[in-house]
Amino acid sequence: MKKSLPELLREVFPKAQFDAADPKLGVESFPEWDSLGHFNFMLQVEEHFGVQFTVEEMSELKALPEIKAALASRGVAA
Amino acid sequence: MDIRLTATSFLMPGNGAWRSLGDAHGLDFGAFGDWPHVLSDPSLQAAVAWVVFLDDVADPEASDGADLDALLASVLGPLDARIDRASQQPMIVAWASPASSSVIEAARTPSASRRLASRFETALYERAQHAPALHVIPLDQVFAKSGRDRCFDSRNYYAAHCRLSVAGLGSLAGALGEVLHRLTAPARKVLVLDCDNTLWGGVVGEDGVGGLTLGQDGTGSAYVDFQRAIRRLAGRGTVLALASKNEEADVWSVFDSHPGMALKRQDIAAWRINWSEKSDNIAALAEELGIGLDSMAFWDDNPIERETVRTAMPQVHVFDCPKHVIDWPKALLECADFARFEVTAEDRRKTALYKARAEFVTELTGRTDRVSFLRSIQLRPEALAIEPASLARATQLCAKTNQFNLRAARHSATDLTEIARTDGAIALLARLSDRFGDHGIVGLAIARPTSDPAVAFLDTFLLSCRVLGRHLEAWMLDACVRPLRERGVRFLAGEFIPRERNAMAAGFLGEHGFAALDALSAGDRDQVATAIGGLAHGGKLYVADLKTLDIPHLEIYSDEKVAA
Repeated sequence: MKKSLPELLREVFPKAQFDAADPKLGVESFPEWDSLGHFNFMLQVEEHFGVQFTVEEMSELKALPEIKAALASRGVAA
Repeated sequence: MDIRLTATSFLMPGNGAWRSLGDAHGLDFGAFGDWPHVLSDPSLQAAVAWVVFLDDVADPEASDGADLDALLASVLGPLDARIDRASQQPMIVAWASPASSSVIEAARTPSASRRLASRFETALYERAQHAPALHVIPLDQVFAKSGRDRCFDSRNYYAAHCRLSVAGLGSLAGALGEVLHRLTAPARKVLVLDCDNTLWGGVVGEDGVGGLTLGQDGTGSAYVDFQRAIRRLAGRGTVLALASKNEEADVWSVFDSHPGMALKRQDIAAWRINWSEKSDNIAALAEELGIGLDSMAFWDDNPIERETVRTAMPQVHVFDCPKHVIDWPKALLECADFARFEVTAEDRRKTALYKARAEFVTELTGRTDRVSFLRSIQLRPEALAIEPASLARATQLCAKTNQFNLRAARHSATDLTEIARTDGAIALLARLSDRFGDHGIVGLAIARPTSDPAVAFLDTFLLSCRVLGRHLEAWMLDACVRPLRERGVRFLAGEFIPRERNAMAAGFLGEHGFAALDALSAGDRDQVATAIGGLAHGGKLYVADLKTLDIPHLEIYSDEKVAA
């Protein structure tokens, strides 16, 4: 059973305050999601969906809709 | 090119993995295990590839030290024969290290596997210098590629300067965790083993000695390898015990008469072979060996026995052993429970030492005239200085002695070296042997000088539990006091600091001629208190006046000279 992106956010940032229903969540949406937090989140997404992002994608995909689109381009629905 | 392959174990000729190599070259696998013959065969005119798994030809623990040269000479003999004939045909040696153990065993010195591998590697490259046809393939490096590919991650490096993948980070964290765990928690001391379907396949009471699965090809040899792994732990200081629901005679008949047994009767320090609950038996073993339950681990194939023991005694580590015996040797060797940073000569003889303790306790309990009994057992104490050869043992005693230990000062090797060098300090290790055996180095006493030349401070006084009951502590104190008296020291101050498990040492100073500091005359008290000022750590302070000190129990050792 694949998890949703907000569920993965919750795993990486267990103590953060955020609205999981907000579709526009992205880097800096809450303090823990800084650039280091983002990298660790992206690694979690990769592992969970079995994909690998490029060097550029790691820094350029900054919000959930973009990440969703990058997953979709690899044939993964998230 | 035609190539003759020969190996120390089977290479699965015909497997698809060989296909593309076989398309390019003529492969001849010969017969299984024919490498000594192939390498030394003068008529063979072909390139030769010798595949060596060091696990097949050497036991890293058993072959440590001087035996290693002889072993390497015999393993490399056939290759040397081929080199000597100055064969122009290419020779390839593809070799792999022995299976590695816990990372803890490589934290302070190279592990035994590593030492063996490195000697073998050196020997190969020495030969390569003089033999132009010899080529070496380090399989460790080849196989490590799969591991590196998994653990290194170039994307993470270029995106975030992190060299590792998530898996690599996990491996790094795991290894750090093992080493840190051993820094805070001592290795377990005793491995308690079930017998039926653990040391061998089958039930001896039903199948008989001849009906057991042990030593035959397949699963039978996995049981042998599991026993070898157990012996390897024993060689590194783990004490072995048996807890089996069986008739005792049946179990010993397997030990004594089954040709597949790698474990021998003398490898077992204590046993409970009966029909009682295993938890009761494990408690009895702990008692007999003088070891706490938190130093014990239990291996049993039966999940119900495991669960019962786990519930009854949560301090005991109960192994969740893998389902199949073929995975047991690796699981046991890699587990961190028994892994130690360093292995001393005492560790290698642990089983014999604990056996001796059990025998001593049994005999002593039966005697009412304890002094004449102790005088009759040929106690031979010896005082040794702390020097490079004994430093590892001294450090280990400081780190691991919990019960008879006045202050439990955990001195490092560096501290101890420095203390031993200090002018006016007395630092002695006590070694003991008696009729029950050579107990090795079992005690450490350190008296440090203070700001007052008339006062010394008993910084460390500890004794390994396995020799308790012999009043060796009185002899050690005397060995400290004699040289202090010669130097004109008047007062020896001591301190008892209560720790979690050292209650048994609380009465020692009071019972050996020391008085509480407060009981001294005001002048003496102030002199001693000022002198030891910064050395004490808040424990209860005692002082012995060396002019009048009369240490009890020394008559037991009256025939012995102090060899300090």
